[in-house]
Amino acid sequence: MGTGFEFKFSVIWESIPILLTGVKLTIFITAFGLLLGFLLGTITGLMKISRNPLIRRMGGFYVESVRGTPLMVQVMFIYFGLPLAVGTRIPPIVAGITAIGINSGAYIAEIVRGTFQSIERGQTEAGRSIGLTHFQTLYYVVWPQAFKRMIPPLGNQFIISLKDTSLLVVVGVGELTRTGQEIIAANFRAFEVWLAVAVMYFIMTMSIAKVLNIIERKLEI
Amino acid sequence: MIEIRQLHKSFGSLEVLKNIDLTVSAGEVTVIMGPSGSGKSTLLRCINRLEDITSGTVIVDGYDVTDKATDINFIRTEAGMVFQQFNLFPHMTTLGNVTLGPLKVRKMNRKEAENLGRELLAKVGLKDKADTYPDHLSGGQKQRVAIARALALKPKVILFDEPTSALDPELVGEVLDVMKQLGREGMTMVVVTHEMGFAREVADRVIFMDGGDLHSSAA
Repeated sequence: MGTGFEFKFSVIWESIPILLTGVKLTIFITAFGLLLGFLLGTITGLMKISRNPLIRRMGGFYVESVRGTPLMVQVMFIYFGLPLAVGTRIPPIVAGITAIGINSGAYIAEIVRGTFQSIERGQTEAGRSIGLTHFQTLYYVVWPQAFKRMIPPLGNQFIISLKDTSLLVVVGVGELTRTGQEIIAANFRAFEVWLAVAVMYFIMTMSIAKVLNIIERKLEI
Repeated sequence: MIEIRQLHKSFGSLEVLKNIDLTVSAGEVTVIMGPSGSGKSTLLRCINRLEDITSGTVIVDGYDVTDKATDINFIRTEAGMVFQQFNLFPHMTTLGNVTLGPLKVRKMNRKEAENLGRELLAKVGLKDKADTYPDHLSGGQKQRVAIARALALKPKVILFDEPTSALDPELVGEVLDVMKQLGREGMTMVVVTHEMGFAREVADRVIFMDGGDLHSSAA
């Protein structure tokens, strides 16, 4: 059974420095994308539980439209589509961060809404009964309790978003998947290089899971 | 202190309170009794407007609760509330629970608020529990913290919504003792309860409610 294939560890070894530049960009895009997503998600999640039906519907529209369309389409719309309408080109990294941010924001909105609504009504009533305003009650009473419940689903979303950055190859962002492709284009060692790429993604997602685990335990009383 | 006139409250088509008239004077302990579903808790919750009022007037310490111009958050500092389910904030220590109002509503500085908090925790017999989280307290202890939390705003009246109904029988006494002491000190209190003994011992007035009506009041 000769496939003629011979595993060469040296290929992986030599690829590491270039792949690490991709890792850096992947982390950069994920971090800023999720920051944007967390901001958008918190705002729109709270909009969805607003007492004002118009605000509620606006939040709902954002969540539904983003959740209902593929990320790949969103990325290409932002990078190729929007510039035609606006008249200026967007750097691919900015387009990538924006896409990851808008996309994760929709899912984070649902996490925020769900956890806020899971806090017992009595907590809000107790806050209001000592004279706190609606906003103060959300901030001092509901938010800290909701945040604790947010961590496991947020961890999920962080990991999903990190892996989603690999879709940015379509707009030519030099993140991890893209650097892998480029190396293979030069040396044709698909087995070793994709294996190395997969291991690097795995290390990053494991790190997110570990860090969130530690935070979760720290918040335990 | 509290004046309720022609108060109506409906949830949809269900009329929970029918034409309630009630006056509570300063320093008076008023106990409201009656079967479940008779509107006792709703009446109490209309006083600090945790429930919206369908029609009628509720005046607390001279301020009209139903008036849109009244700052409802101010009314709620004047009329503190103690809940059946305690509703302590689980992410804060007992001292944190008691000082939240003084810090954020009364804008006290931390040192002042903590002194007040410790003083009140001592008053309810929980001096050594200041740094304990609610999860580590018994039901009776939780309810005493909740009373201290209400007292921290120096309210003119405290509304008790079945404060001992969620407690194990052996823990009821310690909460009632604190309430009796408050009554003796002249705190104005409106208490929804099933505790006959408490009513007999402390109440200046007992009101019976049934089907959304005030039936009779006895001294």
